[in-house]
Amino acid sequence: MTKGDIDPPPFFKTWKAMYWLVLGVLAGLILVFYLITQAYS
Amino acid sequence: MSRLDWGVLISTIAFIVLYGVWKTRKAQHMSGYLRADNTERWWMMGLSIMATQASAITFLSTPGQAFADGMRFIQFYFGLPLAMVVLSITAIPIYYRLKVFTAYEYLESRFDLKTRSLAAFLFLVQRGLSTGITIYAPAIILSAILGWNLTGTILFIGVVVTFYTVVGGTKAVSQTQRLQMAVMLGGMLVAAIVVVRLLPPEVGFSEAMAVAGSSGKLNLVDLSFNPNDRYNLWSGLIGGFFLSLSYFGTDQSQVGRYLGGETIAQSRLGLLMNGLVKVPMQFLILLVGVLVFVFYQFYQPPLYFNQQHTQNVLASTAAPAWRSLEEQDKQVFQAKKEATLALVQAHREKDAGAEEQAAQRMEQAENSRKELRTQAQELVKAHNQGTDMKDTDYVFLTFVTQQLPKGLVGLLLAVVLCAAMGSTASAFNSLASTTVVDVYKRSLKPNASDDHYVKASRWFTIGWGAVSIFFALFASQLENLIQAVNILGSLFYGTILGVFIAAFYFKRLQGHAVFWAAVVTQLLIFLLYYQTEIAYLWYNLIGVALVVSIGFLLQPLARKQA
Repeated sequence: MTKGDIDPPPFFKTWKAMYWLVLGVLAGLILVFYLITQAYS
Repeated sequence: MSRLDWGVLISTIAFIVLYGVWKTRKAQHMSGYLRADNTERWWMMGLSIMATQASAITFLSTPGQAFADGMRFIQFYFGLPLAMVVLSITAIPIYYRLKVFTAYEYLESRFDLKTRSLAAFLFLVQRGLSTGITIYAPAIILSAILGWNLTGTILFIGVVVTFYTVVGGTKAVSQTQRLQMAVMLGGMLVAAIVVVRLLPPEVGFSEAMAVAGSSGKLNLVDLSFNPNDRYNLWSGLIGGFFLSLSYFGTDQSQVGRYLGGETIAQSRLGLLMNGLVKVPMQFLILLVGVLVFVFYQFYQPPLYFNQQHTQNVLASTAAPAWRSLEEQDKQVFQAKKEATLALVQAHREKDAGAEEQAAQRMEQAENSRKELRTQAQELVKAHNQGTDMKDTDYVFLTFVTQQLPKGLVGLLLAVVLCAAMGSTASAFNSLASTTVVDVYKRSLKPNASDDHYVKASRWFTIGWGAVSIFFALFASQLENLIQAVNILGSLFYGTILGVFIAAFYFKRLQGHAVFWAAVVTQLLIFLLYYQTEIAYLWYNLIGVALVVSIGFLLQPLARKQA
């Protein structure tokens, strides 16, 4: 492993938080897309 | 095309290529040439990863797909962010620890040489074939719409990309891709704004969305589960997840992008940037397609978008029948335009009943138009031998060349050429690195100098460039080859991913069992393709399940033999 492996990501203390951000954004987008689909169907 | 458009197009492409060559002009050693000396920052890798995936077809076919089928294609990308997270956690640390140049190197340290060679071989066959199509597909569309010479367009894209990839290797690919990505995103954003501005004065963005919604184009999420349906939430999340795992985790054209990172953290951030930006980017491209659809509800579209095929019909005995169809189409269009304007009016006045009635009239007119288009397609088929009837790939570029103001046409054509060049450069670079590292250096000439391998990489880049250009020229004789090669690619990915999943997560599985499991799986997938109607996205999941389960079945036998 290199030193980079233990570097935290920018703006977050842990990588886990970064991963949750990506998954949270995906969930949010799917929800918004679902609401758009329902509103215009 | 105007002089201004030519100026914008030529200066954009020339600047990007010269910048890439100038930035990477110094002599390089193997690590620099194939892995960018591990100097890449996360945002450069993120842009490079996105530019590799975004081929010209992304910018030609995707708006056309939204025009015809709505925005449901967006679901195809829902599994991608999940895959980016999994690869950041698992694959990146392993690749870094072993300091590999290619993904397949890892398979030898985990299994054996034959498994590494099998995976590298499957990649070279699949990527080698599909790169020809990456060049051919935009060239055929550009030549049909703009009258450019097809052979000249293929040679231009192929030779220019080969030139800067040979000169600068991975660094040149990355340097040029960040500029190409900026042109692509900027161009599509400008296109979205301009389409809305070209709509009639009484139609704003809200009314445009109402028209699109009433026509069933805002079908972004479909919760129903149907394994034969290519695009729904479940095929996107599950099938798209496995496809993305395979593409980003095992395809050297992508692995090569993030192996050039300064640290594990930088590579992870590059992948996660892709996970954050990809879905909104695809949404933007699809939205442009839907807005083009709305535009053509107010301005008469051609009956058939491929004008070259139309000309062939008009030059035949079917010309009177075609003109009659066009006349009928004009009448249907007028009826539909009136219904659409009524819907816009009702939407503005918030009159739900009138909106519903107008939507029904629009649907009736659309059904009539579909019948006319079916008849037109029959005429096209009869007078264009061996032709693919799908004209949706031509919708966006027809709109760009006929409706956009001077200057913007050049910019949007630069978007298409940048996309073609970015994805092709990654492919040449990865094909050369896999050939040198996994075949030439490993099995043919293991103890040569670093300088020798850099030279070999350059020659293999030229070789793969020549093969791809040749294949692109040959593909023009076989229209349906595009579909065949796309399917061929998706059929291989499941097996390759299965081998990597077995390597990453199933420590009990050994090389001999996995190798034969992969061979059997590949044959079974071919069989499934010919015998069933399963949507191709599912082959990735099936491939993984088969490699792992057959591997476990063969493991005791393999152990006994050992």
